[in-house]
Amino acid sequence: MAHSGGSQTPPLTARAAGLVACPTCGRVHQAQTVHCLRCGQVLASRDGTSMQRVWAWLVAGFMAYIPANLYPMLETTTLGKTQSNTLLGGVIELVLHHSYGVAAIVFFASIVIPIGKFVAISYLALQVQRPDRNSVHLKHRMLEVVEFIGRWSMIDVFVVALLSSLVQLGSVVSVQPGIAAISFALSVVFTMLSAMSFDSRLIWDTDTKDSETA
Amino acid sequence: MTDLNLPELEIDPPRRSLLRNLSVVWLVPVLAVVVSLGIAWKNFSDRGTLVTITFSTAAGVIPGETTLKFREVVIGTVENVQFTPDLQKVIISARIQKDVAETLPSDSQFWVVRPNVSANGVTGLSTVLSGVYIEGAWLPVSGSVVHSFTGLEAEPILRPGRKGMRITLRSKSGSLLPAGGPILFHGVEVGKLDVPRITDTGDSVLVDAFINAPNDKYITTATRFWDTSGFSVKLGPSGVALDVSSLGSLLRGGIAFDTTFTGGEPIKDTTVFNLFDDEDAARQSIFTQIGDDAVPLAVIFTGSVNGLAAGAQVEYHGFRIGQVTGINAFIERTSGNGRVVKLRTEIEIDPQALGLQASTGKSEVLAFLRDAVSNGLRARLVTTSIFSPALKIELAELPDEPKAEMIIGADSVPVLPSVVSDLPDLNATADGMLKRINGLPIEELMQQAISLMASIEAVAGSDDTRAAPGALVKLLDDTRGLINKDDTQAIPTELRGAIVDLRKVVEDLQKRGASEKLVTLLENANKVSANLDQASQSFPQLIKDLQELAAKAKGLKAEELIDSTTKLIQDANAVIGTDGMKSLPADLSGALVQIQAALKELREGGAVDNVNAALASAKDAADSVAQAADGLPKLTAELDALVGKANALVAAYGAKSNFNDQTLQLLRDLQAAAKAATQLARTIERNPNSLLIGR
Repeated sequence: MAHSGGSQTPPLTARAAGLVACPTCGRVHQAQTVHCLRCGQVLASRDGTSMQRVWAWLVAGFMAYIPANLYPMLETTTLGKTQSNTLLGGVIELVLHHSYGVAAIVFFASIVIPIGKFVAISYLALQVQRPDRNSVHLKHRMLEVVEFIGRWSMIDVFVVALLSSLVQLGSVVSVQPGIAAISFALSVVFTMLSAMSFDSRLIWDTDTKDSETA
Repeated sequence: MTDLNLPELEIDPPRRSLLRNLSVVWLVPVLAVVVSLGIAWKNFSDRGTLVTITFSTAAGVIPGETTLKFREVVIGTVENVQFTPDLQKVIISARIQKDVAETLPSDSQFWVVRPNVSANGVTGLSTVLSGVYIEGAWLPVSGSVVHSFTGLEAEPILRPGRKGMRITLRSKSGSLLPAGGPILFHGVEVGKLDVPRITDTGDSVLVDAFINAPNDKYITTATRFWDTSGFSVKLGPSGVALDVSSLGSLLRGGIAFDTTFTGGEPIKDTTVFNLFDDEDAARQSIFTQIGDDAVPLAVIFTGSVNGLAAGAQVEYHGFRIGQVTGINAFIERTSGNGRVVKLRTEIEIDPQALGLQASTGKSEVLAFLRDAVSNGLRARLVTTSIFSPALKIELAELPDEPKAEMIIGADSVPVLPSVVSDLPDLNATADGMLKRINGLPIEELMQQAISLMASIEAVAGSDDTRAAPGALVKLLDDTRGLINKDDTQAIPTELRGAIVDLRKVVEDLQKRGASEKLVTLLENANKVSANLDQASQSFPQLIKDLQELAAKAKGLKAEELIDSTTKLIQDANAVIGTDGMKSLPADLSGALVQIQAALKELREGGAVDNVNAALASAKDAADSVAQAADGLPKLTAELDALVGKANALVAAYGAKSNFNDQTLQLLRDLQAAAKAATQLARTIERNPNSLLIGR
């Protein structure tokens, strides 16, 4: 809609022009070319397995996210007394200790962003198959943001890694990473792979169809 | 326009099947599912068995944190703490390892381990920092399905699964039976006491005791237990006897045991033993309980049995062999159609006391007695002492008595023939004895003693004796020599012998007929006078010695000995009575409470920055300990001085009596204890953190 308002004619796509670009080196070939003449990469106008990979990585990421929330993230041993915290439990504890800022950071990094990513990728993947009327630009921006922000979810994992390597004071205080730390790291990696597998040209296509149908 | 190119796109290889079209990436979620399911299944199958333990309180138990331990190894974790429906108890649900749960018998014992400071020592100190845990003890069985248990309030003193013997002791009072008190065998701790409990009838106290394995073999039916707590001072003919088993048992009580006669049998299961007040009572009690194999007999006395009661002794040559179990009357028809009331006394005799084997059968014992009866064994009543109307039964061999038989029936109790008891008139006997005592030349003796004193005084007052201050050492030697001199020591013995003889005379008077009495009496009178003669013959020698002694006695500060004795006792009193000594335990426990509080705070704080504050608190606590123990060096010094004085006194006193040994031992114990306490206090003062790190 914003697009239809922005330009009168739909832009010419490479596919419409009978061309295909190499996804690796960017050389443009005739559409029927199978291998890139420069780098030997298999050429495809649209990645047919993209959606499969997106869904597969997404499902794997989501499955890793479940134990990340159920199992303890950190095991803190203070004077022989062991205390273990899950992600959400840690956030609640921080709030109870009135560390609202840190609580907000942890909450965003480990709860809001991962879940937002799941929702965003699912939405984009779904609308590739069943296009809605939202702006294609918006969807593109959304994919970009998801890809950009994905790595920042690792902040939790970094904190755990730093704490458990630095805070080792023998029997007084020691910090050990829990199973959830690994699960969470895997979840972040899987969702990042999911976002990277997303062939953005498929979003583009919906716009074409959109404009064609409109 | 671009539509023209579309057919060329179909150059692409033909569309692959759905299966071939599937991305390899799908393996990742599938793998994740498999791994997750695997972990979930493993978690579920490894999950321990849920058991519930009921306690009256759950102090310090935290769900998810408090562990269950068996032999100090963690076997599970508390999952939940909740009330019973009536809120009277607390149910602790704990998940423990499956294989361990299968070995739990229904009488497994669980208790919460908390720090505990008592006279028996400090336990559970490790829980100060790590929090409490639940300890279990049981004898493992296999395939158990019991999952709910009742917890104990405190650590059981007698844990299941230990090798040894469990016995029960019966006592009149439980005040000297502290739970956990030691059981000593020749002064070595070999067992422990459980918590005392009142019997159902409420007339005595029962306490379970456990004797550890290698030493339980000393417990037989011949074993007697007695109380060793506290100390006893006895003033007897042999002097002052102070009896203290150990400083430890003085503080925490305890009981001792020993085998009092040979031939005891191993006990089978939990046997009840009587607890005696002291060792003497225990040793003299050999026959207070007649064994199960006692042989019942009956004696029929024609005369009065006034003074005879159940429990009275049955003696043979003055040695106790049994007891009276009851007296009852029955009516016997005489030949003339009349009726006579007769008294039938039931007695029982311990075959072992007669020197027979414990395994001797009843019939053999009876056969032995029957033979003895045909040889003149008779029962008769005798008084227990000249001042008491109480009677006892004596079995005496009187061959001159008319023949009698002991009839052994199959169903009736055999009757032991009796003789007419010649019980002397108590008043007459006492009167006669007093007359005899009156006749003794006591006045004369007194007169001699008075004149002796007078001459000593005279000699001591003379100028000659004043000139001998340098001879003090020699004088002491002489004094010692004099005391040790046979003559001196013989005097009391002689006198005692005379009294014994007198008693014998009186006893003989009681026992025998009038005709026999006279001869013996004369003989004994002779003996008495001979003894008295001998005694008085020693007197001139004694007087001479004493005069000799008195001649040098000017420099001898006889009072000094008495003074130092008195002073020693006063010092001892002062030491024991000082406020420092009295308040010491209270102060120490107060300090420990403070330490505990400090550590609790430390633990609750949980953070590193509390450690400093906690250390400061510990320092304060240690300071309190030091303050409390401040009086200790002084006390040690006083004790040192006391021991020194006591040593001096012993040197002066010469003979090594029991009193000296025991007193010195006690003082040395006290000295050592005070030194140890001082040392501990200093160590804590120097290194308060030693409490934390355990060194």
